[in-house]
Amino acid sequence: MATDDDDILTGPVPAPEAEASPSERMRAKAFAELVDKTLAGRTPPPALSADDRALLEVATVIRAASGNVELPAAKRSALVEDALRQAIGGTAPATSGVVPISRARRRWVPWAISGASTAVAVAAVLVLWLRTPSSPTPLPPQARSLDALIGPIDREHAADAASRIDTIFADRLDSYRESLGRAP
Amino acid sequence: MKYLVLLLVISIAACKGDSPKPTTHTAEPTEAVGKDLMIALSKAKNFHHKARVYMSDGKTAEAIAAVREILSLQFPAGAPEAEDVRNDARALLAKLLVGQGQVEEAMRIVQEGLAQSQRESFFVANLYTVKGEIHEARAAQLASDPQKVVEEKHAAIEAYDKSNAIDEKLQQELMRGK
Repeated sequence: MATDDDDILTGPVPAPEAEASPSERMRAKAFAELVDKTLAGRTPPPALSADDRALLEVATVIRAASGNVELPAAKRSALVEDALRQAIGGTAPATSGVVPISRARRRWVPWAISGASTAVAVAAVLVLWLRTPSSPTPLPPQARSLDALIGPIDREHAADAASRIDTIFADRLDSYRESLGRAP
Repeated sequence: MKYLVLLLVISIAACKGDSPKPTTHTAEPTEAVGKDLMIALSKAKNFHHKARVYMSDGKTAEAIAAVREILSLQFPAGAPEAEDVRNDARALLAKLLVGQGQVEEAMRIVQEGLAQSQRESFFVANLYTVKGEIHEARAAQLASDPQKVVEEKHAAIEAYDKSNAIDEKLQQELMRGK
């Protein structure tokens, strides 16, 4: 017979100070045993309600997030034995999860990739360094000095700065346009 | 390892083989004359024209103010045009100030330009010419003090001589193709 306790998600929410009912206690005890078994490495029963399965997953996640997950003693002991056996020159059983250091050293693929990348980079640098134009492209003409452009200033024209700035501006504008590669 | 060496050689050969030959120069225009210099020169030109309009209207004070603006223009760092354009503006400014009777301010403007100049140029020579004229103006104002008049006239001659010396030296350098 279905009771309110069977539907913990949609049933009425008990008051905070309310005493747990016997059925609640039984249910909590059964779920606690289920969680303990699951965390101990046992497979949860296939016939499990969706709510219980969801709660079980949450419990597993919380347990894993707390960082206190440890290997079972038997497994831990086997791994240590394998590692020690390999250290003194023995061979690890085929089922062992311990990878020998000597085999790990043969992981050359990452090194090959990084080596190839380095070689390509070195090649690119060498190409940039070696690739010089066969005939140097002429630089834009450097602007003349204003002394060469204006020449000596007579005393009568000492205050004719306005006409000189016109000359200077026109000359520099020509140079600027030449450097831009456009005709004036 | 030999594969890496082979890859290196192939990469270099491939890059050298089909790389297009450069046909254009990638340098920016600032290599010769840049945009900032053109902006500064354009402003200087406009201030000079503004001053000329004021002068044609007899508004010397406004003309002086316009020329003073040239002295505070921002030129690109290291542009030799900056010094020359400012010295030319100082020469005009000093002459305008002398015309207004502000002889001491005119001398200050000229002395400041000479002190800030990093090299000799025709514009520096022109400043010495204006300096000589200012000494002459001082001598005219000090007519009641013959000793001072002599000193100012001597100073004027020294300034003109200095101007001529700079002009001669620069012209010889230009003729030698320096």
